Amino acid sequence: MQQDPDWFRNVAEYILREGLPTTLKLAAVAVIVSTVVGMVLGTLITIPFRPLRALIRLYIEVWRGLPILVTVLFIYWTATAEVGGFRFELSAFWSAAVGLSLWGSAQVAEATRGAVQSIPREQHEAASALGFGWVGRHTFVIVPQAVRRLIPPMVGLLVNIIQNTTIAYVIGVSELLETANRQFENLTLAGDGHPFVIFGFVLALFFLISFPLTRLAAYLERRLV
Amino acid sequence: MDIVFAAFDWSFIWENRAEIWSGLKNTLRAAAIGIAGSFLIGVVLGAARAHRIPVVSQLAAIYVELIRNTPILVQIFFLYFGILPWLGYTGTPFLAAWLSITIWGGAFNTENFRAGFEAVPRQFREAAYALGFTPLKTFLNVTLPIGGRIALPSTINTYISVLKNTSLLLVIGYAELTSVANHIQSVTFRTFEMFAVIAVVYLALVWTLSALVRLLEARLALPESR
Repeated sequence: MQQDPDWFRNVAEYILREGLPTTLKLAAVAVIVSTVVGMVLGTLITIPFRPLRALIRLYIEVWRGLPILVTVLFIYWTATAEVGGFRFELSAFWSAAVGLSLWGSAQVAEATRGAVQSIPREQHEAASALGFGWVGRHTFVIVPQAVRRLIPPMVGLLVNIIQNTTIAYVIGVSELLETANRQFENLTLAGDGHPFVIFGFVLALFFLISFPLTRLAAYLERRLV
Repeated sequence: MDIVFAAFDWSFIWENRAEIWSGLKNTLRAAAIGIAGSFLIGVVLGAARAHRIPVVSQLAAIYVELIRNTPILVQIFFLYFGILPWLGYTGTPFLAAWLSITIWGGAFNTENFRAGFEAVPRQFREAAYALGFTPLKTFLNVTLPIGGRIALPSTINTYISVLKNTSLLLVIGYAELTSVANHIQSVTFRTFEMFAVIAVVYLALVWTLSALVRLLEARLALPESR
């Protein structure tokens, strides 16, 4: 079969039009959920109440310890199966989003715990002296100061989550790798798959997104910490 | 809760034990090669980076940035469908499997070891030179043992990631634990039980390695930092 001489243009357009928005959407959902859930859990774990601490510690160690692919596959397959008479329906996109968020929130929780515990004791005492309770003290005094230390690892997390969105390929989400692979398979049927160019193109796209962010993270690390 | 648990059936795990065991062995095999390979790459290129050896140092920096800023899953595709067939290799996925996770781990380990070697005080090397050590002997007897210990916690974290990354080898049909589990659940429909079992296996491996980090940190800490 004769190949369209314009094949690369078509492939690149398809990947950018179909894959890129899904990748960015998935990364955005995962980053936002990870940040919110992670910061709450990371602050709560500093409360000296053993059962709560143990529970959050278990959450962190389980979701950080499991390969993200295992988490995502587990959610995807069990969420579309019947469990105990309940029928759950979760699309591939949301299965991937939940899986990435579980992992990401565990990372954020651990970073937040370190940042919150690094705030000197006097800050707690001063805030208490002003009449703040635990919630007010953390919302208005402790966590805002901890956020400064959290910014560099958060940029690092953003890079990691963007890269890990490719795991959604395994369950068929139309993100960058899935759309690229579709084009590769189509072209292979037509004679030459051009794997070098197509997957090289995906690598280049991710590099263009990630490299400025890792530079930024390194810069912020020098400036803020 | 009784109803939920009554619906579970664990007997198929025992029936498929041979396949699960071979999956675990394949995971450990790829991880062992990946860990050993990334150790070697990390020490050699980390030393080249820390000592600013011309050309090698710059090439190593490019290698590290390329690998760290692209997803490993796309690297696996690029290697398996792009580079290896181009070089004329069309055999089993095992070569692409261990090679891809080694290249990935090597890049992260280069940074770990570079930071470790650079943290060794310059005076230590100067003292070794004054004692008549050659540059290579200085590296092997002074920089490597001290810098290697400084880098130890971060390198073990990289090895943990290498182990977890073996699960991604499912995409090229390497029969490691995750792909075996995925296959068994697609035949038996015992999804929950199957993934619960491999989750326990992965957590046991990962938690053992992270416990090792804490143990080694205490045991191998440099005397003055105790």
